[in-house]
Amino acid sequence: MRHTLSNMKKIFALLTLLPLSLLANLNIAVSYPYIGALTKTIGGEDVKVTVLAKGKWDPHFIIPRPSLISKMRNADAMIMNGGQLEIGWLPPIINRAGNPKTMPNTKTFLNLSHHVKLINKPKSVDRKHGDIHPDGNPHFHISPKNILILAKTIEEFLSKIDMKNREIYKKNYNDFSKVWHQKMAFWKKKMKEKKGLKVIQFHDNLAYFNKEYGLVNIGTIEPLPGIPPSSKHTIATIELIKKEKPCCILHDVYHSTKTADFISQKTGIKVILMPHDIEALENIDNLSALFDYLTSAIK
Amino acid sequence: MKKIVLTSMLCAGFAYGDIAQLLEADKRTFDSSKYIPDISLIADFSYVNRSINDDELSHLGLPGIAHGLYAEHAHGGSNEATYNANQGFNFNYAELILSSSVDPFFSMDATFHFSEHGVEVEEAYFTTTALGNGLRLRGGKLLSNFGYMNAQHHHYWDFGDMPLVYESFLGTHGINELGAQLQWTAPTPFYLMAGFEVLQGDNEQMFGNGSVNIEEFTGVEEDSIEGTDAPSLYVGYIKSSFDFGDTTVLGGLSYAQGDSMIDHSDDHEEPHVFKGDAKLYGADFVALHAIDSYRSVKWQTEWLSRELDGTQYNLYDAFTSPDINKKQSGLYSQLVYTHDKNWKMGVRYDTIYQNDVMLNGLDTNKPDDLNKYSAMIEYHTSEFARFRLQYNRNEAMYNEDGLRQNIDTISLQANIAIGAHAAHSF
Repeated sequence: MRHTLSNMKKIFALLTLLPLSLLANLNIAVSYPYIGALTKTIGGEDVKVTVLAKGKWDPHFIIPRPSLISKMRNADAMIMNGGQLEIGWLPPIINRAGNPKTMPNTKTFLNLSHHVKLINKPKSVDRKHGDIHPDGNPHFHISPKNILILAKTIEEFLSKIDMKNREIYKKNYNDFSKVWHQKMAFWKKKMKEKKGLKVIQFHDNLAYFNKEYGLVNIGTIEPLPGIPPSSKHTIATIELIKKEKPCCILHDVYHSTKTADFISQKTGIKVILMPHDIEALENIDNLSALFDYLTSAIK
Repeated sequence: MKKIVLTSMLCAGFAYGDIAQLLEADKRTFDSSKYIPDISLIADFSYVNRSINDDELSHLGLPGIAHGLYAEHAHGGSNEATYNANQGFNFNYAELILSSSVDPFFSMDATFHFSEHGVEVEEAYFTTTALGNGLRLRGGKLLSNFGYMNAQHHHYWDFGDMPLVYESFLGTHGINELGAQLQWTAPTPFYLMAGFEVLQGDNEQMFGNGSVNIEEFTGVEEDSIEGTDAPSLYVGYIKSSFDFGDTTVLGGLSYAQGDSMIDHSDDHEEPHVFKGDAKLYGADFVALHAIDSYRSVKWQTEWLSRELDGTQYNLYDAFTSPDINKKQSGLYSQLVYTHDKNWKMGVRYDTIYQNDVMLNGLDTNKPDDLNKYSAMIEYHTSEFARFRLQYNRNEAMYNEDGLRQNIDTISLQANIAIGAHAAHSF
């Protein structure tokens, strides 16, 4: 009996290890495409990245497809955005996969939101106020400054879980940091004249982007976070626009622009699509392209 | 010294009032409030208008399959009710759900089902989180992962009632048992999961192993129909899923086998007990196409087939005990369209198309065209509150005279959730 058991164990181990050993050194599951891009940049050849969500989808509402369970099951580490952005879809996948390496609060699990300063933390938490994030606005990656902090966080994380390659990760980070600093200067210059512009959004996705470049968000099309537009609130928004004269409506790619178009028609201000992640629009296939687009969109 | 006394007196005074004002929670030395598990409460209410009255409904059944299925009925000393049992207003349940990790190796979940008749522990189980290799072990009272719908709670269903084939083969709770479950997710690039469960085997419609006392019928002291040893129910399944662009398909095959003891000795007319072996086969298929982040179309269908083989002990007249062999099969198929965060609508077709009941080898010619048609529309004010209008046409029920009684039902259901409730899996 004992003999069969140990034999079975061996076969089992073989079955489990075989597909992983054929791949790169580390297989890292990440929730969103931007984390995938950063991890690939820092990890280089030694890291295989598996992105769970698609960039064109609303990051709050990802369908927990069973294929994601397999991706999680086969991962060596997990990097998530955090700040409750994944709360509606990631927990059942982590639980079903039963992978000790991707369990929260383990050495191989990274919650990025713990490493940046979140803004707009609500003073009181009550669902009367809509679907709010108790820890603050979780869309912190739409800010070049934060991207650099996140890259550093990922570099430290990878170095910790894969010590032998830490020099490579460090070099990759330094290379990235150099290029990114140049780009940040370029984007800053581009956005200089936009400082102080008032904007309307659908959902406060761009809080960190606006903060970095001095844009002022004066209202959202949804009456409360996560609550679909109502006619009453739309009329109030039209009044607000007439009074405050914002430049434009900055709109995400996944909500319908129906209400925004209606408001635009009534007030004459433009609706501008603002991608929130890589793949959100067709030509945006890397992080620089994302910020090139965002910093050129407001004309 | 005086100062200390004064302060401590003051403190005592405050403590008596509201200690939270004195010290923030995270500064209290032995405070454990951070460890409070996720708590949620889900309540379900409905308003029902049915074409027949409650008393008539409680006497209807599916010939050779199940009877006394709907409406409130007393069973084994406890009063049970199906969802939407009464005409007019129904309080279906208030479900209290607690869940938390236990330590680095386990998590624990429990669901308490409160109704006007009392509290039932619907689920209470611990799950391993650290086995690795795709393995997961669960023990306690649990919903079996047989098929697709069995493991889902009522509040996650797309219709307010259970599919006919589930309800009539397994009862309103499905396979909800005490036992152990082992699941293994294969290290494949696509989803492949296999599971095995050993369960106590106590289901009022299909499985059972307890002895039934028949002293009151035979007059023989301590006379009973002998049960078998528990655990006596074994369930196995395999599930796989693939993505094709924005379309996801999930398919599964399931099998359950166990001892059967169906106790109808409480029936007013023709009391009887069935003892034998039971087998249940299942095949499920789900396809979901996401049009965008909020719009989707979901097709869900499950086929169930069962075989019961044993002896029926008729506890009336001549006390006959014929051999019974039942082969019964049915399916449901439903299509649900989610329009946006507010609106959802769907249709469902239910059928039991095979109903072969052999009595001592002779066909009893039971009806095998038992159908039900349903349509629903839902409005969600948020993720936490939904209101559903549903229409059912049930053409599967027969009265005690063997006549078909079609039932039309309109129900308006409110399902409301508060607190921290974990997201659902696919």
